[in-house]
Amino acid sequence: MSSGTEGSTDLAARRPAGGGVDQVRVMAIVLCVILVALVVPPVVILIIRSVSVTNPDATVGGFTLAHYARFFTNPDLYESLFNSVVFSVFSTILALLFGGTLAWLVERTNTRFKGLAYVTTIISMGTPYILYVSAWLFLLGRSGPFNDAWRTLTGSFQPLFDPYSMWGMVLVEGFLWSPLVFLLLSSTFRQANADMEEAARMSGAGVLQTVWSISIKISMPAILALALFVFIRAIEAFEVPLMVGLPGGIDVLTTDVYKSIRETIPPDLGYASAYSVVLLFVVAVLLSFYGRLAKNAGKYSTVTGKGYRPRQFDLGRYRWIGDAMVLFNFLIVLVLPLLALFWLSLLPYMRSIRLEAIAQFSLENFATVLQSSYYRELALHTLVVAASAATAGIVLAFFTGWISARRRTGGQVLDQLATMPLVFPGIVMGVAFMMVFLAVPLPIYGSIWALAIAYTVRYLPYGLRYTYAGVLQIHSELEEAGGVSGATPIQMLRRIVAPLLSPAILSGWLFVFLIASKELAVAALLSNTQSQVVAVGMYDLWRNGQGGELAAFGLIWATVMTCVASLFYFATRDGDRAQAL
Amino acid sequence: MLTLDHLTKIYPARPGEFAGGIRDASIVLKPGAFFTLLGPSGCGKTTTLRCIAGLERPDEGRILVGDEVMFDGASGRSVPLHLRNIGMVFQSYAIWPHMSVFDNVSFPMRVSKARKYSTAEIRKAVGEALDSVGLGGYANRSATQLSGGQQQRVALARAVVHRPKLLLLDEPLSNLDASLREEMRVELKRLQRELGITAVYVTHDQSEALAMSDVIAVIDQGQVVQIGGPREVYFQPATEFVAGFVGHTNILHGTATGPADARGVVAVEVTGGGRVLCRAETPVSGEVAVSIRPENIRLAGEGEATGAAGNAIAGRVASASFLGSIVHYEVEPDQGSAVFRVEGGPGTPFEIGARVAMSFRPEDALALPRST
Repeated sequence: MSSGTEGSTDLAARRPAGGGVDQVRVMAIVLCVILVALVVPPVVILIIRSVSVTNPDATVGGFTLAHYARFFTNPDLYESLFNSVVFSVFSTILALLFGGTLAWLVERTNTRFKGLAYVTTIISMGTPYILYVSAWLFLLGRSGPFNDAWRTLTGSFQPLFDPYSMWGMVLVEGFLWSPLVFLLLSSTFRQANADMEEAARMSGAGVLQTVWSISIKISMPAILALALFVFIRAIEAFEVPLMVGLPGGIDVLTTDVYKSIRETIPPDLGYASAYSVVLLFVVAVLLSFYGRLAKNAGKYSTVTGKGYRPRQFDLGRYRWIGDAMVLFNFLIVLVLPLLALFWLSLLPYMRSIRLEAIAQFSLENFATVLQSSYYRELALHTLVVAASAATAGIVLAFFTGWISARRRTGGQVLDQLATMPLVFPGIVMGVAFMMVFLAVPLPIYGSIWALAIAYTVRYLPYGLRYTYAGVLQIHSELEEAGGVSGATPIQMLRRIVAPLLSPAILSGWLFVFLIASKELAVAALLSNTQSQVVAVGMYDLWRNGQGGELAAFGLIWATVMTCVASLFYFATRDGDRAQAL
Repeated sequence: MLTLDHLTKIYPARPGEFAGGIRDASIVLKPGAFFTLLGPSGCGKTTTLRCIAGLERPDEGRILVGDEVMFDGASGRSVPLHLRNIGMVFQSYAIWPHMSVFDNVSFPMRVSKARKYSTAEIRKAVGEALDSVGLGGYANRSATQLSGGQQQRVALARAVVHRPKLLLLDEPLSNLDASLREEMRVELKRLQRELGITAVYVTHDQSEALAMSDVIAVIDQGQVVQIGGPREVYFQPATEFVAGFVGHTNILHGTATGPADARGVVAVEVTGGGRVLCRAETPVSGEVAVSIRPENIRLAGEGEATGAAGNAIAGRVASASFLGSIVHYEVEPDQGSAVFRVEGGPGTPFEIGARVAMSFRPEDALALPRST
């Protein structure tokens, strides 16, 4: 540039170094606007509604603290709180004991049938919780095979077990979470360094001593973090409290919120908002504890060589116990629910498992499901909503993840904005977005796009985990080489970062797609007859006693989603699967 | 060709501590020069290079390539890195693993803002660049199939394919094994000379710097302590640090007894006893360091004639390592605590424990300001 023109271009060229940060800055600002528009309204509307009078036409009235007063003086609150804590603590313990033992057996011992544990995990990733819960409720229910056998054997009219109880809830929720615990802890155990265990053995420790004082202690930080994570998820859980707790008269925090909207006429928006604000606060506190624990989770993990598999313990003559555990898991988490669904799907109405029922077997339910436009729409809505939420979420997560991983200006703010939805339990997210969509002058409430937007926000943090961690794995010199070669930041992102990040983007997309297609809590409040999704449809079928169609549809749906889940499992590198934690 | 004018970039640190960065660096390079930034790790040499590339924004100063102002702290002008038209070879090579060799090398031409290149032009330029680094015929290889040395060559081809005015190299040889490093050193120098490109080379390896450079800037804790040709830096180090960092040397601490005489010789009272006569290039007084290169010390048995006039220090051999063409001795002097490194010919072996006399000429002992 000649000195003559320099003066005039000085202002235009007033850009910081680091490669035309102007483009990056514009990107950060645009992202910030989008994220604020998506994430802030739900929080703000909850707070406003919680301190405002709700007019009879559901509009916002004057200031009041009555909702909070009502909330804290309600004696039922303490019962719900107690129930929530008991439910969460025990289902966490069950999931951890069961999933954890299984993970250790499969990863670190010479137990047989290991493949079955993975099959169970993959299929459970694709299956909606609501379908599982239905199947287990049938199995454990009054007319289920267990109670049936009990009555036949003892001649008693009293069932052995009532699933609609706190212990029923704990059992179902615990089993529901065990595959995820298995998945996450198996990667922890796989990374364990066998040298440390061998050193203990060489020092004279026995197998059990080694397992207790070395293997478990080394994994403890990771296990504790996971325990708190499962506990938080159980506090936020909705499917089991709705399907098991509500009919059994056991209320927890999340069902209280649901009831104040769906089972109160007119919906008690103020009270639900106050309740939600308190829940947000509680989850935020728990999550900050979790953040601290998770930071320590990798404290003892030692990096081992590529493709290195730690040596396995020989269980010796106790090997059959390990085998039995794996088979038990396979049976309880996969085979029995599937068999129950098959049984139900072949019968015109729900009835207990008896030989004479076989005479009534027909494929009627499958025919109905396949021919009905209702089910087609259900599936279509779900796929569209899940795919759009996954796509929108991963696009936002890509740019946000890059800006914050590379510590560009605004990265921290963007990261915090995008992570904020984590504090929303599903049901609270549902309440908040319901009020947001009712407040905006667009005919969006009740459409599938309302769901897509809410899901995008809800699962944005998960997508971000994938892209953020992915960017950190890209050597920054690969990007700098692009800039020095003359690429603008946008060109660099498109031609270098995006292709290198594609495995993480694919994993993140599939993960969000999978969980979004299962989501019930948000949809329970946001969808109506025109925008029903699979989870809500299945819940309605269950409530209406259409177990046969539910089972037939559920089996077909679970088959499709299992294909997606296998894609996720096999397309994803080992470490990436645990990214969602 | 390249002008750095009071370039400063400091990384924030706790008060009173130097965390990294470069202070007040100034230099003017002629076109076609091979310029090396030499210093220990963390001295600020890479920061300087990254400021030139546009990867870091300096705090103050000016950077000019030719007469184009790339950065001016006073006006705030800063050309974004992708418009600077500079080639750079990174320490990790930064070969994009998802692209073929051809795609890697052609990238700078395909994203060029200055002009659009036709497919034929790109093909030709990439072919020439690959030929010049000895990788003709590798264009269709996947980048992940390359060895470290080949990746290095691809990185070099990519850096020069669009004929930049300036080539930056960030410790490009540090990831190669020793024999390959020697080979690439020669290769790099040849390529730079053939292209007539101005090169800025960052290294902590003094032998690399001495072998390749036209100009060396020795940097210590963010300060440029000396700029000069390889011989100048080696034979006339400006400070004790330069003398110690560039090549091996023996350092004696002491006090100058007075100003240098007419021949430039000054007498130094060595701390711990003794007295040496040495040459002073710059006026020295008070506390000084005396640098004597191992190859300039003659070793003689006790009582033998030392031959050279000037300084003689008696001591005993503490260790002797036979390295083939030379023998490397460590000698403990009778006075003082410093152990001397001395190089002897293979033909005059001294046993460990033997009493010896070390002698060196005053012109081979250089009095320098003390480094803190």
